[in-house]
Amino acid sequence: MSGKSRREFLKKSITAGAIATGLSSSTLKAGPLNILSPDRMGVLVDTTVCVGCRNCEWACKDAHNLHAGNLDSYEDRKILETKRRPDHTALTVVNEYPRGKYSNLPIDVKVQCMHCDHPACVSACIVGAFSKQENGSVIWDTDMCIGCRYCMAACPFQIPAFEYDKALDPLIMKCDFCFDRTKEGNLPACVNICPVEALTYGPRTELIKVARKRIKRNPDRYIDHVFGELEVGGTSWMYLASKDFKELDFPDLGKNPAPGVSESIQHGIFAYFVPPVSLYVLLGGIMWITKRRKELGTEEKI
Amino acid sequence: MKKILAILLVLIFMGEINAQQSPGKDHSELNINCKTCHTCDVPTKDEPCLVVCPREKIATIYQKPEQTPELIVIDQLKDRYNPVYFSHKIHAQMSIMSGGCENCHHYNTSGPILKCNNCHQSSRQREDISIPDLKGAYHRQCMDCHREWSHETGCNTCHSPINDLKESEKNDFKKQLKGKDHPPVTEPTKIVYETNFEGGKLVTFYYDDHINNFKLKCNQCHARESCTRCHDVNHISSDKLILVKEKKSLEEHHKKCFNCHKENDCAKCHLDKQLEPFNHKQRTGWALNKPHSYLSCVSCHGSKQPYKKLDNQCVSCHKGWKKENFKHSVTGLRLDKIHSELSCEDCHTGKDYSVKPGCNGCHENYVYPNQKPGRLVGK
Repeated sequence: MSGKSRREFLKKSITAGAIATGLSSSTLKAGPLNILSPDRMGVLVDTTVCVGCRNCEWACKDAHNLHAGNLDSYEDRKILETKRRPDHTALTVVNEYPRGKYSNLPIDVKVQCMHCDHPACVSACIVGAFSKQENGSVIWDTDMCIGCRYCMAACPFQIPAFEYDKALDPLIMKCDFCFDRTKEGNLPACVNICPVEALTYGPRTELIKVARKRIKRNPDRYIDHVFGELEVGGTSWMYLASKDFKELDFPDLGKNPAPGVSESIQHGIFAYFVPPVSLYVLLGGIMWITKRRKELGTEEKI
Repeated sequence: MKKILAILLVLIFMGEINAQQSPGKDHSELNINCKTCHTCDVPTKDEPCLVVCPREKIATIYQKPEQTPELIVIDQLKDRYNPVYFSHKIHAQMSIMSGGCENCHHYNTSGPILKCNNCHQSSRQREDISIPDLKGAYHRQCMDCHREWSHETGCNTCHSPINDLKESEKNDFKKQLKGKDHPPVTEPTKIVYETNFEGGKLVTFYYDDHINNFKLKCNQCHARESCTRCHDVNHISSDKLILVKEKKSLEEHHKKCFNCHKENDCAKCHLDKQLEPFNHKQRTGWALNKPHSYLSCVSCHGSKQPYKKLDNQCVSCHKGWKKENFKHSVTGLRLDKIHSELSCEDCHTGKDYSVKPGCNGCHENYVYPNQKPGRLVGK
């Protein structure tokens, strides 16, 4: 509650300041764009359907002007022997897990930004570069980003990556739900290329219905859990699986939205001017110690 | 006015019911998973909870693989790839033990076979996302098995890029696929499983008993077998056709047997020595001769497991049986005139038809079958 009232206080004071400086209040945004539209889109990833062809990895790189290479080179299945995380060179990756003692086939799991309904990155970003868009995408403005990497620490899925290897102008990188493509009415690149439609793109509410129906009709095929329906307050990307999500390296997160955690830490630290006050206390302390040392030194000389 | 409206509503409602054609009275006995058409666990006449699909063309007849098209050319992506030549017949032969036609066609249609794009839309951006689009549907059918078979997922495994093949090569490819048959799957007489069960390590399974005597069909047990069930795709040996050991849990191993056999009677199958083939006479004391040997177990014992012992009275099964309407010739022996006028018990003492009839009542030193009360006619 204190966080909310503080935000409201800030909003009001900024608006008041803006009016005072002659700006029209209508052109000013009080906080980052954080829309939770009832029509927001999502993707249902059916890990029981995915064949691990990694075409999505290629399509993603191709769509985001990253070094993609030849599609044929993605047929190499040796790379699936090690677990990978999305990074600044690959915004989505596919990992492979054993299906169980009694099957030759593996389970393939695509990993990318989940596009949370209550994104921790949006709330953590101190410059308001991150935003949750009306269509469900969680995107960021590279021009506003100052590279503080708070989003990386805040994300419950540890998705945002940073171009550490660039000395000048490094960028935060993550899946943007192909915002530029969907804006023009195209499907996200990965959804578009998937040969088996393991990725179903559609309105989030509709996807939940589809997921529930699949579980009900094939109780032997799926566990009764749609990952992302409720986790961290819901995510735009949701998953179906044949075995416990913990065994597929999904984090065990509660149903509470992640910003609750990041906001309370931030607001706890920054509330009541704790950082500046503690800084001054520290500096004052150092001054006092050095001054006292000097005094003691002069006393000894005499 | 209200009455007219009500009647109209009832009429419209009835019309809708009639429009949904019934798949047949006994469709629950067909080898179709109920969930194929019904979404709820217990569909009723009032609430059938049917899935959205062209059910009016639902399957009742199963075509033999040999009656199906041999080769199907899939060339929707003409501009990017050479057509995919799909050897349909051989795949149909392979599918016999893995779900049959409806494994791919979902509903094995009795009328025209539905094209995939009747239900699966060609555009991925669509209203109804409850079923996969055409591209997804096609690939799911092929890739699920093929990646188990060859461990490959690359596009070029099936699609060759356009201009890669010359016209003559295309024809060679077609020729290769034509006239190919999957060799018929022959069953062994018996398999002796060696288990770790302390109470009895050997389990003997007689295939011919189950098929010929118990009248089971192969696909009643082998309904969802994949190719890897028989083929060594992991190259443990150099022979792709060796029978690889089934990777199954204890539960799954027993599941098929428990469909008919009692779950808690381990010693019935687990023995220290090999089990003899089933012999009705030895087990029950009643020889199963013609015409009874033609029957399946259920036609006398009923479908309820475990089977109950029946008595040897014909009337127990042949309800309404009387001496007057019985033709003795069905037993293979036509009685002569004198004998046909006797009562049954005169020869079959104690009404026990499983033992040899006796002649002592009238004749001295007559023994059946040395002396016969009529003429052998064959059954």
